[in-house]
Amino acid sequence: MIEFEALKPQNLKEALAVLKERGIDIKLLAGGTDLLVEINNNSDRLGNFKYLMDISSIKGLDEIENEKKHLIIGALCTHTQIIESKLIEGKFPILVRGAKTIGSTQIRNRGTIGGNINNGSPAADLITPLLALKSSVILKSKNKKRELPLQDFITGPYKTDRKEDEILTKIKIPKINSDYQSSFQKVKRRQAVAISRINLAVVTDIKEMRFNDIRIAFGSATPTAIRFLKMEKKLKQTQINELNFDSIIEQTGQEMVEIAGERWSTPYKKPVVGNLLIRALQEIIREVQ
Amino acid sequence: MQKVKVSLTVNRKKYNLEVDPDERLLDSLRDRLHLTGVKEGCSIGECGACTVIIDGKAVNSCMVYTFQIDGSHVLTVEGLEIDGRLDPLQLSFIEHQAVQCGFCTPGMLMSAKALLNKNPNPDKEAIKTAIEGNLCRCTGYQQIIEAIEAVVKKDGSE
Amino acid sequence: MEFNHVHKSKKRVDVYEKVTGRAKYGADMRFPDMLYAQTLYTKYPYAEIKNIDLDKAKKQTDVEAIITAEDVPNNKFGVIIENQQVLAEDKSLFIGDGIAVVAAKTAKAAARAIELIDVEYKELEGIYDPLKARKEGSQLIHEENESNQVIHHPLRKGNIKQGFLESDVIIKREYDTPFIEQSYIEPEAVVAVPYQENSTITVYGSIQNPFATQGAVASVLKEKLNKIRIVQNHMGGSFGGKDEVVSSMAARAAILALKTKKPVRLVNTRDQSIKESYKRHPYKMKYKIGATHDGQLKAMQIEAVADSGAYACQTPFVTWRSVVQATGPYEVANVKTDTYGFYTNNIYTGAMRGYGSPQVIFAQESLMDELAEELDMDPVELRLKNIYHNNSITASGQKLDSHQVSLEEVLTKAVEKSDFIEKYNRYKKEQTGDKKRGIGLSISFRGCSLGAEAIDAAGIILSLKKDGSVNLYSGLAENGQGLKTVYCQIAGEILGLDIDRINFMEVDTLISPDSGSTVASRATLIGGNAVKKAANNLKNRIKKFIAESYEQTEDDIVLKDGKIYGKKSIEIMSIAKMSSMAAMEGVCLTSYGWYVSPEISWDEEIGQGNPYFTYVYGCQVAEVEVDIKTGEINVLKMTAAHDVGRAINPANVKGQIYGGVMMGLGYGIMEELKTNQGYIQNTNFDEYLIPTVKDMPDIDPIIVENPDPDGPFGAKSIGEPTLELGAAAIANAVANAADKRIRSLPINLEQIIVGRKLSKGGGQK
Repeated sequence: MIEFEALKPQNLKEALAVLKERGIDIKLLAGGTDLLVEINNNSDRLGNFKYLMDISSIKGLDEIENEKKHLIIGALCTHTQIIESKLIEGKFPILVRGAKTIGSTQIRNRGTIGGNINNGSPAADLITPLLALKSSVILKSKNKKRELPLQDFITGPYKTDRKEDEILTKIKIPKINSDYQSSFQKVKRRQAVAISRINLAVVTDIKEMRFNDIRIAFGSATPTAIRFLKMEKKLKQTQINELNFDSIIEQTGQEMVEIAGERWSTPYKKPVVGNLLIRALQEIIREVQ
Repeated sequence: MQKVKVSLTVNRKKYNLEVDPDERLLDSLRDRLHLTGVKEGCSIGECGACTVIIDGKAVNSCMVYTFQIDGSHVLTVEGLEIDGRLDPLQLSFIEHQAVQCGFCTPGMLMSAKALLNKNPNPDKEAIKTAIEGNLCRCTGYQQIIEAIEAVVKKDGSE
Repeated sequence: MEFNHVHKSKKRVDVYEKVTGRAKYGADMRFPDMLYAQTLYTKYPYAEIKNIDLDKAKKQTDVEAIITAEDVPNNKFGVIIENQQVLAEDKSLFIGDGIAVVAAKTAKAAARAIELIDVEYKELEGIYDPLKARKEGSQLIHEENESNQVIHHPLRKGNIKQGFLESDVIIKREYDTPFIEQSYIEPEAVVAVPYQENSTITVYGSIQNPFATQGAVASVLKEKLNKIRIVQNHMGGSFGGKDEVVSSMAARAAILALKTKKPVRLVNTRDQSIKESYKRHPYKMKYKIGATHDGQLKAMQIEAVADSGAYACQTPFVTWRSVVQATGPYEVANVKTDTYGFYTNNIYTGAMRGYGSPQVIFAQESLMDELAEELDMDPVELRLKNIYHNNSITASGQKLDSHQVSLEEVLTKAVEKSDFIEKYNRYKKEQTGDKKRGIGLSISFRGCSLGAEAIDAAGIILSLKKDGSVNLYSGLAENGQGLKTVYCQIAGEILGLDIDRINFMEVDTLISPDSGSTVASRATLIGGNAVKKAANNLKNRIKKFIAESYEQTEDDIVLKDGKIYGKKSIEIMSIAKMSSMAAMEGVCLTSYGWYVSPEISWDEEIGQGNPYFTYVYGCQVAEVEVDIKTGEINVLKMTAAHDVGRAINPANVKGQIYGGVMMGLGYGIMEELKTNQGYIQNTNFDEYLIPTVKDMPDIDPIIVENPDPDGPFGAKSIGEPTLELGAAAIANAVANAADKRIRSLPINLEQIIVGRKLSKGGGQK
């Protein structure tokens, strides 16, 4: 049984001040859809904490801002907010597609984008799109603010670079021009409320029938969600009509094994990651043609 | 553990509670307010039996600590009936034999209620999305979908 | 035949309470001074318990009592073989065995105390494979036995050798199925109240079979049956699952209640429920079948091995149903079947909807398609050549002559409605794209009721009140399936009363007649007949009273619409008025109906006889889409044709079909309780997946009605037949779609892509 005291700061300033003082003993609570499960399960992942700080009702962290070069999503935006945001749907539909596949309506009504990132699950359905969108995260502490690429923030399975006095406040997504196409793929064991067996986000712009800037992020295939840089390199500048499916499938699987090593699920995932990539590319190509 | 003071409006009635930090909304509703229509099926947000509506949104009450939602409005299955009049959804569940063991029914009703409050004219896919987080082991969901659809159609014709 | 109350989709009599949240389930019960109990489970599946130190736990504030096996008057119980431990005594035999139970003033205090109990174990090497347990000289799970075999049911018919000699084509295949969790949405819950009125213990709760639980608690407490009272609350689903596990919990709570002299509530979390409650048996099956070139079945040889887990529980009966159904509904002259159950240190296995049939139907209906393929015949044609008709002889030598054998009818109706033949041939051809469609079917015959497991009888008490309302006391219990409504309809039909005038009383062992367990899809058939008898007894008394008082002949008297009519259909008076008058005249208005099923027989040595007095027939067709690049399967449509004899409540019958199809679908493509060395890897609904609304296909239910001479108004069974066919139909559809024959359930992502299941190991939860 896990026992703790509750902290409920009224605003960000107060939260950061308390974190500065005793952050080491504090667990942050937002939507709770992962944390309450772990507390219920007495999960080893929780580590030790004395206080649970509820930041779910802190004002100002649940806004979506349309800046000139970036779209900024407040860390406390729920998945439902993301799905219903016309702004996000217009700019980054892939994020909406990812959000729609998370949990159930009830979970999406509570769970937040910041929580999805901070939980650091390799299967998180927002992390892969965000990686493919080259997002960065903004963290605040009492006296500091820092920004770092999402990829660097996630340091391992269920591990992040968040310092104990910090709060992840915003997610910053660089805007891309309207030539960009995207595809989100998810393999699951059932049709709803399903954790990704594999998920994939592909973002690319096609210029003169070639993949120009192409970003490929896989989730649940490797210990943390990650971009497959080798495959990106291979596909960059490739003619979209001259794709060698067999070699893409082969090499995607290989890249996965290089990153993750051989695991119990490798015989399944090795061919399927490539199959999914082909499917995503075909979907994008169909869209362009 | 230090108690936390919380004020809640539940089924249109105001309550001032002192709760433990680890007291889930589910516990407060069932154990303090005796609203046992709210059911516990899995404790991890997978089955939806504990679904209630908080400030207009369907939420698993096992996934929320009561101290988090100070000042909120909560609606449970017990609050659907007003002055002895059943909600159209309740009547439709009766009419369409959408209930077997009945354990998922309260959560199912609340998910459907939240949907219809937000979108009075949902299509079948939207209905399914609204209740995808409510597991039912008896009905195969068929008559539940029919019951919700019937309320939608009735509303549309009025 | 014209009916007024049966054969109609009447609204459920228990639905108002259920849609308003007023229905009280086990965990909703509150009593003054009630204590909260928690069970400590063993840390290892198989271990010697060297020492249990309760000192620290006892000192915990608010803890009122702790019990271990030492406090249990009679620690072993069981309906068939008494070897299930209430609490582990010398050894834990599986991962869900309880070690101690704490009762405290708050749930939190009980949970804290559990963590303070120190148990010293000596971990032992267990047996987790029934085929290993079977080997001669294996270590014994139950030392008092000579081997790990729980049961062996042989069936011998004709000359198996000769049968294969006469066959042109012989194929041999192996199939297997996993542990399955019943997955009722309400976890188990009981409250034991000491010394209420004249009972030593009264147990309220989510109890599928109040009389079985009464027996278990009495035996554990060494108390007389008439001192143990069991009251059933609303049940949040059971599907066979709330029997022995709930009995064990009831016994634990009862001991604590007697020790503390306070009500004790014991409610499982989902994790505890999945860890300690029994599962559907995994089977390993070997089939050998022989046929002529033109598709005549000549011989079938079957060996099925069931994993019984740590206890016998229902294994002897579950495997017995398998032996009857193993060959499927086909006429085969030469049959040799052997079904076995073996103890292991896995979670124990017992009743779950289907009860030994889903496993063998998956195997045998897959096999029929494989044989059809081999014979280059379509699956419908092969089946039509061999299925049972009126007067067919079954594998156990029974002549089917008491009822309409409607296999051809259900098969034809489902095949036509689903456009099976056209689609089967179309999908068989090369399909473009990643997503391949397929269609498959399966058929079954199913013995109604208990059969030769036990005497099959049930009772009903009807009490007509002075205002013309009726109390109905039943020994069979509502599990959510709609039994209350069906019984009220049957009573209403005979007494000429609307069902809102009839009040079905919760099953209470104090009053309800012991009618055995609500299992085996027997409630409508057996209990329904008892309702009919009780109502007819009452009606005859009313007729006699009216005939004597109003110069009428009994034959002219009709009860209808709440009124009594006499000669020339002239209204005499209302039933309400008559009730009050009859009561004043001293007429007995309480009636009893006791129904005993027609005779059956079974020779256990050779597996021959008439195991059931009647059967139901069903056919399900599945249409699927298989993504051959990811292994995902989407079931698009299911067509389900079931002969129910007569649908007392067609809307309820449809509800049973939809729900059964869903469970069959789960069995087919997603459900699997994963174990590793006795540890359970998926103990909640995040990892043990059951179908959501989005997994459900369009379902086309076809209700076929051939009234059975032995059924109440011709009604038979529907609960279990609906679930036993789905997985096999889906497996056949997958083979049709993707040319992949999967012989192991569930047909998951890995099986489609890699051709086998993958396991991550670990799982010490």
